[in-house]
Amino acid sequence: MSEQQAYEPKVVAFLCKWCSSAGSDLAGVSRIQYPPNATPITIPCTGAMSPMYILSAFNKGADGVLVSGCHIGDCHYIEGNYLARRKMHLTMELLKFIGVEPDRFRMSWVSAAEGAKFARVVTDFINDLEPLGPQDKLKKVVAND
Amino acid sequence: MEKILDKKQVDAWVAALTDWEVHAPVLEDGIWAYQPVSGAVRLNHPNTKQSPKGFAFPQREIFFSFEQIKGEPPKLTQIMPQAARHAVFGVRPCDGRGVPRMDKVFTDHVDDPYYNARRKNVAYVGLACNKPPSPNCFCLSVGGSPVSTDGLDVQLTDMGDRYFVKAVTETGKTMMAAASSLFAEPSAADKKQLKQIHADAVAHPQRKINDPDGAPAKLEASFDSPLWEEMARACIGCGICTFLCPTCHCFDINDEVQNKAPLKGQRVRTWDNCQFPDFTMHSSGHNPRENTAARLRQRVNHKFQYFHKNFGMHQCTGCGRCVSECPVGIDIVTVVNKVTENVG
Amino acid sequence: MINIQDIRDTAKDMLAKGEVRAVIGYRRGSRGMPAEPAFITNPEQAEELVWDPTCFHNLSLYLVEDRKFLAHLNKTSDAPIAIIAKGCDARSIVVLLQEHYFKREDVYIIGVSCEGTGVVDERKLAPHLNGFQATKAVFDGDDFVFTTAEGEKRLPAREVMADRCLECRNPFPKENNVVFGEDRTGRELAEPFAALARFEAQGTGERWDFWSHHFDRCIRCFACRSVCPMCYCDECVVDSITFPVTPATTAEEKANRIRWIERSATRSENITYLMTRAMHLAGRCTDCGECERACPVNVPIRLLNNKMEREAREKFGFEPGASVGGPSLVASFLDSDPGDFIR
Repeated sequence: MSEQQAYEPKVVAFLCKWCSSAGSDLAGVSRIQYPPNATPITIPCTGAMSPMYILSAFNKGADGVLVSGCHIGDCHYIEGNYLARRKMHLTMELLKFIGVEPDRFRMSWVSAAEGAKFARVVTDFINDLEPLGPQDKLKKVVAND
Repeated sequence: MEKILDKKQVDAWVAALTDWEVHAPVLEDGIWAYQPVSGAVRLNHPNTKQSPKGFAFPQREIFFSFEQIKGEPPKLTQIMPQAARHAVFGVRPCDGRGVPRMDKVFTDHVDDPYYNARRKNVAYVGLACNKPPSPNCFCLSVGGSPVSTDGLDVQLTDMGDRYFVKAVTETGKTMMAAASSLFAEPSAADKKQLKQIHADAVAHPQRKINDPDGAPAKLEASFDSPLWEEMARACIGCGICTFLCPTCHCFDINDEVQNKAPLKGQRVRTWDNCQFPDFTMHSSGHNPRENTAARLRQRVNHKFQYFHKNFGMHQCTGCGRCVSECPVGIDIVTVVNKVTENVG
Repeated sequence: MINIQDIRDTAKDMLAKGEVRAVIGYRRGSRGMPAEPAFITNPEQAEELVWDPTCFHNLSLYLVEDRKFLAHLNKTSDAPIAIIAKGCDARSIVVLLQEHYFKREDVYIIGVSCEGTGVVDERKLAPHLNGFQATKAVFDGDDFVFTTAEGEKRLPAREVMADRCLECRNPFPKENNVVFGEDRTGRELAEPFAALARFEAQGTGERWDFWSHHFDRCIRCFACRSVCPMCYCDECVVDSITFPVTPATTAEEKANRIRWIERSATRSENITYLMTRAMHLAGRCTDCGECERACPVNVPIRLLNNKMEREAREKFGFEPGASVGGPSLVASFLDSDPGDFIR
């Protein structure tokens, strides 16, 4: 097995419990094939996403971070995803600014009915992450320097 | 051992110190910092932004690694510093005097294996201050001198186109012997010039602590003085004064977890800082030093009273870093003077 | 030109009448040229106040401190505090008011316009002084005049002014109770965000090389956080001082408290700290530049804040500290916010 194949990107996926989380379940029960690299963390709403979660995921060794929530207009809390859109845009810009590859962070709108879309989002993300290799810019190193 | 070294030969001397990793002040990113060098040592710096204390007491020191596999006893592996031998060039006398003060804490008081493993591999090549490098120098007020050799292994004195080189310790002699052909014997005129330069250096006006000898007792009497609150009014509680200080040595110890299952990580020591609010925070939520006044009082008292009681010397060496670098102008010279002048 | 005596008289008058309980301003420091923060409570002391190019500090920080102090004592303010505020400082106060940190009537803003200049950058000044130390600095039109052992040295302010002041277009504190100096809003001494634009023209690799170098250098003294009026959180993510501990809290719970950032000043931890700080300041930072001035190792912190400021302006039409009634950046949104990055 070559090194290229041995590398499996680790993704932390923050999924809104009202939509994307259910969407990922639907992908599962519909037996849609997609890469198993994403570790889902259910959040109450993308509006509750703190940039800190994203930085912390990278700090703890994630190769990519996905945030997925409800389509604009569909937020259970009316405006959570509008707030998330702004906040995540700023976070993404800041990550790009310091030289983190833009493909390390992704955001998507996936409703509870869009199992196929969820699978596609994850598949695309993994495909884009693979050529980047492991993320070591923001990863915590405990060893001696 | 006293010799003369042509300034043009400094690089050759550095090159001859093959047993040592030589560090010297380099101006980078707008600040003077000790950096590894292989030549081109100019020693035209005022003083470095950070003191050289990090060579023996780095900001982060790993003690041991730990690993716990379920069902097995925890595995601890001590990690001793594998530091090269460091020769630090251009150490100012105040920072040199910081060295024995750190030794008091980590060598004489307790035997700190990590500190001592590093310490025995560091040699300090000092540079006397012909004139005060900072407007906030006050070494003369705290028992020091711009030509002090305390804590140094070799002392250089700038004599224009050459250095007067004096070996202070056996290590210093060995370092000079590594390139003995580069050094010349000082003439009577050289010695006379050195004497003059040193006399002029000591005569240069500096900032002044008015009663350094009376400070310990006067500070003790001023513990409840309302002046602390007044003096600390502007303090923002950052760590500049202590992190840049050549003698501040307080630290924190934490376990840094790399992996949760199986549990894996390292226990590390990092610099800590008495000016941070959480320095004395108890887990109950009570904080015995709950405001900036109590924290400033602690730092000043540690330097000028507690350390003096324990070791018979002021902990402060008068480098003036905390004065120059404080973002809001808190000035330890003024603080000590104001607090002590109010005591009879 | 501002006559400092006018400011002193105002302060003296208000203190004498008991209209304010203190005046926060600037006075001569004891360590040479830089002014230092002054907390004046009796009218005679008002004569100590100064106004010169070394009044860099954003004093609104001390309004935050005062508010915390009162809260600690379970007290409310019985009279306002007066504060001397430059354009950027006054915008900081506006942000604090937007966030309801204190009430408008708790603060009396003595605005001072920087007019055609700003504050001096000591790092830029040093090479102009032949190795001498300046002991005094004064405004004189568009020049600064410094006193050294060599005599007086006049320099065009532009040459030694802080970058943030050169780029500042709002040197006039719009939110004020009384204001001194001319309104020169809209002045253009230098292109705003020029350094940012230059930096962004580089590729991902170069940007990372630059930042990883600087993130490595941070010593985590937290001067940037401490000096910032916007960094008022009772518990900052980097420490865990208010972790609630009761007699029932177990050792394991204490050991497992969330630790977002380790104490070690290593690159990864410094990144997490500095990036989090930049995010927390998005839409709140008024570019007073104190973080970058205070940094002892010259980490270009302002560049991060500038990036957020420009994003907010260009993408969301947002100006931090523009008006007291305005919304905050991350607690508001527009239908037109960019969303094309979302799949």
